[in-house]
Formats: sequence, structure tokens, C-alpha cells
Amino acid sequence: MSNHSQAHPAHLQHHFVDSDQQFDAAKMGMWVFIVNEILFFGGLFCAYIVFRAWYPDLFTMAATKLDTTMGAINTVVLIGSSLSVAMAIRAAQLNKTKWIKINLLITITLACVFLVIKYFEYSHKMHDGIFPGATLYTYEGIDHPLAHVFFSIYYVMTGIHAIHIIVGIGLMIWIYIRAKRNEFGSEYYTPVEMVGLYWHLVDVIWIFLFPLLYLIE
Amino acid sequence: MILSEDKTMSEHNHHEHHVSSVGQLWAIGIALTLLTILTVGLSHVEIPAPFDVVVALTVAFVKAFLVCAFFMNLYWDTKFNSMLLIGAFAFFILMVAVTLLDTLYRNDVVPSF
Repeated sequence: MSNHSQAHPAHLQHHFVDSDQQFDAAKMGMWVFIVNEILFFGGLFCAYIVFRAWYPDLFTMAATKLDTTMGAINTVVLIGSSLSVAMAIRAAQLNKTKWIKINLLITITLACVFLVIKYFEYSHKMHDGIFPGATLYTYEGIDHPLAHVFFSIYYVMTGIHAIHIIVGIGLMIWIYIRAKRNEFGSEYYTPVEMVGLYWHLVDVIWIFLFPLLYLIE
Repeated sequence: MILSEDKTMSEHNHHEHHVSSVGQLWAIGIALTLLTILTVGLSHVEIPAPFDVVVALTVAFVKAFLVCAFFMNLYWDTKFNSMLLIGAFAFFILMVAVTLLDTLYRNDVVPSF
């Protein structure tokens, strides 16, 4: 199973038998982290479900204030960034360091596009007096006494998602710097794979946020 | 049981990690984009109350499956990682179900909320 001819590559920690074991251990650790993230966002989705079950009318009324076009564009932007990060992993597996860097730059750019669109959405709402929480919320356009509840859920869910995007950009800059130092190739690309898994998770969460927040008619 | 299955899977996978082809990755990306267009289109169709959410969530689950299976490589990965994901989802459903057993059957919703 183990390949003894490459007994001590530089990246191999002494407590692992071989590179494969190290890679699989890291990957399983990443999946455990993803489990944790799912349950973390799960609490927020749970709050969403409880409030939607209590006030279905509130959700249909308030969701009209969300810009479906911007949400849809952001969905496609994140899908594109997932594609480019998958391409970066492929480039690492094929020893194409140049293409790791190009694909990471595309991913970082798309992540920034996502945040810029999100910024326009937030600022447009805040301009209208739509803030999270009953005391800050001053918008009168939605005829429901609990309109602020929907937007509290909206801001917290999309806000925490946006924080994940910002963290992802930081991680990809870190991977980019390491790729620039020629640290990755077919023998060792664990960090590229793990950051990719994280980024896909952020995409998956948005895949659920988009229809549940924007597409309620 | 799972461990022994796991072992044969990883035995099979170990020496060569799966490398997705460019065409494969683009196909998934395009499928995800088309499904996004589909779900936006379906949101304009009048579907009676509970089923609009069912339809939207079905599309979302198909998209999530594509990402998890082919971008996150679970399709070629050890089954243990898929089990972790499915386990997380099962516990999420449990959390929602137990919470709804309370919130759906209250006589009065907490007044301040």
C-alpha cells in the first residue's frame, strides 16, 4: 500500500505512515469541520423554518423587497467560482502551477464580485431604512408588524455567509502565495483540496439561501 | 462493516486520486447554471402553497448533490466522508423536527416575537 521509494517527502509529517494516509486524514478532518459548519448554519435555517411556519404571509410579503436578479447573478458567480477552484485543484494534480495561480485569481475575483453585489443589496436596503432588529428598522413599505423579523433573519444568514466568503478569500490568497513558492504538485496539494472543499461548502449554503430568501412568491 | 467496505474503497483510490476532466467540471458548472435559471423561472409559475417550496428545495438539493458529488469529489471518495455529510444532514432534520414539535403546537406564540 505504501510507496517506500518516497519515504520522506518534505511535506510528510512524521506521525503519518505515508502521503496517502496524511491526505486522507486531512480530508476526513475537513469533512468533520464541514459537518460542524452544516450544523452551525442548520441552527439559522431552523430559525428560518420556525418563523416561516409561524408567519407564512410575512415571508411572501417581505421577500418582494429582495432583488431576485442580483441574487440570481450572485448564484451564478458562486457557481463559477466553484468551477474555477475545482480547476485549480485539477491544475495542482497535473503539476500545472501556473494554472493553479490563474484559477485561484479567477476564484478570488469572483468572490469579490459576489461581495460587491452583496454590498449594493445591503446599502440599497439600508437606504430604505431596512435594518436588522425592531429598533433600527424604520421601513414602512411592508404592511406587517413583524417585517423586521424577516430582515433580521436575512441579514444574519447572508451576513454570516458573507463572512465565510471573506475568510475564503483570505484562504485563497494564502494558497496563492504558497503556489507561487512552488509548494504544490501532484505529490502534495492537500491545502488546495481543503480550501476547495471549504469553498464548495460556501457555495452549497448559498444554493439553499437563494431560493429560500429570494424566490418566495 | 463500514470500515471493511471503506478499506476496499480506499485501497482502490489510494494510489491515484481522481482527476476530473475539464469537460466534466464544465458540464457540472453548466448544469448548475441551468438549474439556477430553472429555479428562478419556476418561481414565476403559480404553484399552490406548500409545493412551491417543495419544488424550489428539490432543485436546490439536486444542485447541492452535484456540487458535493462531483466538485467535492464525494463520488470518488471513501464512503466514510459521505456518511459524515449524510449524518450531519440527518441531525439537522432531527434538530428542526424536535424544534417544530414545540413551536408548531404552542397555543400562543411568544408575544414579543
